[in-house]
Amino acid sequence: MQSEEHIVAALRALAEEDAELEAPLRVEDRVRKIFRRKHAVRKWRNGLTWSLALAAAVVVVGFIGVPDKRHSPPPRAKKEVATRPPQLAVADHIVADPQPVEMPPATVPARQVRRIAPNSDPQPREIVTEFFPLLDVAPPFERGELLRVTVPASTMRKVGLPVAENRLADRVYADVLVGNEGLARAIRFVSYEQ
Amino acid sequence: MIATDQALLEQALEGVEDAFTALYRRRQGAVYRFALQMTGSTAVAEDVTQETFLALILHGGRYDEARGTVGAFLYGIARNLVLRRLDRNPAADLEVTEDYAGPEDLLEDLTRRESIEQVRQAVLSLPPVFREAVVLCDLQDSSYEDAAVALDCPVGTVRSRLSRGRAMLVRKLRGAACTGRSIECSQKSI
Repeated sequence: MQSEEHIVAALRALAEEDAELEAPLRVEDRVRKIFRRKHAVRKWRNGLTWSLALAAAVVVVGFIGVPDKRHSPPPRAKKEVATRPPQLAVADHIVADPQPVEMPPATVPARQVRRIAPNSDPQPREIVTEFFPLLDVAPPFERGELLRVTVPASTMRKVGLPVAENRLADRVYADVLVGNEGLARAIRFVSYEQ
Repeated sequence: MIATDQALLEQALEGVEDAFTALYRRRQGAVYRFALQMTGSTAVAEDVTQETFLALILHGGRYDEARGTVGAFLYGIARNLVLRRLDRNPAADLEVTEDYAGPEDLLEDLTRRESIEQVRQAVLSLPPVFREAVVLCDLQDSSYEDAAVALDCPVGTVRSRLSRGRAMLVRKLRGAACTGRSIECSQKSI
């Protein structure tokens, strides 16, 4: 018992001896520099995202504001699909019709992933927004795949793009960049020049 | 009003440099001393301090208030970094173990500082699992709860490791006494 008391006292003396020890100032300089760099990158990225969002908004306003094209032939994507389910035909452009006849909302899957295949047919020109990152800190990846999907127009709101209230349920085309590890990394929205 | 560590961390994670600096200045000494007392190397302690705060910048969002204090969170990061270093260079321990018993002819001249150095070397010679308990609870004055968070084990385990660590220190310093360096001798000079 006495030995333990002695050792505790000895340790206390050692703690007092070391109480004033601190890391050299150069360590503080280094970590603050890294802190600044990290947050500068983040601010730059946020600024870039908003700039892109603003630029993309111009395009998107066009998407959403187009008149009802139900009776015009739907434009086909350049990289359209051989195996595309026929009921998706209406979603070949950014759908401006609140009640698509060919694709009742109840039967529309949340996401339709389609394979992209070359098509020799003359196609309307594709208009795309910039990519919006889906991960805050994305681990590096070797390769990825671009998947064409349809998503609700409300998704565009999530990345800061303006969408009219009565168009939120409309479905729009989007390209999702998926890394080889299966992580969805970025999204861009697609429309076709009318 | 002094901001809590948690408030500073939250602001730092939002990019407020002053908050990060305040948190760094408040906690760097403890992290540095912990690393130094665990490794006996100022260079390693410097590296560990830097890497601990870098980890805080990158992964500070993982801090969970419910699990413990920010201080314990930092000790936990520092501890992992220290253990990695010790794994990489286990010989460092042996080096230290041999160092702590000094030549006999200096016994008569033990000063307070020398006694303290003797204790320091004895601590460094402990197996890491006991050393970290002694360093955190006895040298850093952490609560058992904070030490348990940092060491990722129950409070009871901290207590038992601490007790065993102290017992080992007694034996080691008694061993030194066999060569003329006694714990009593150290105590008198302390």
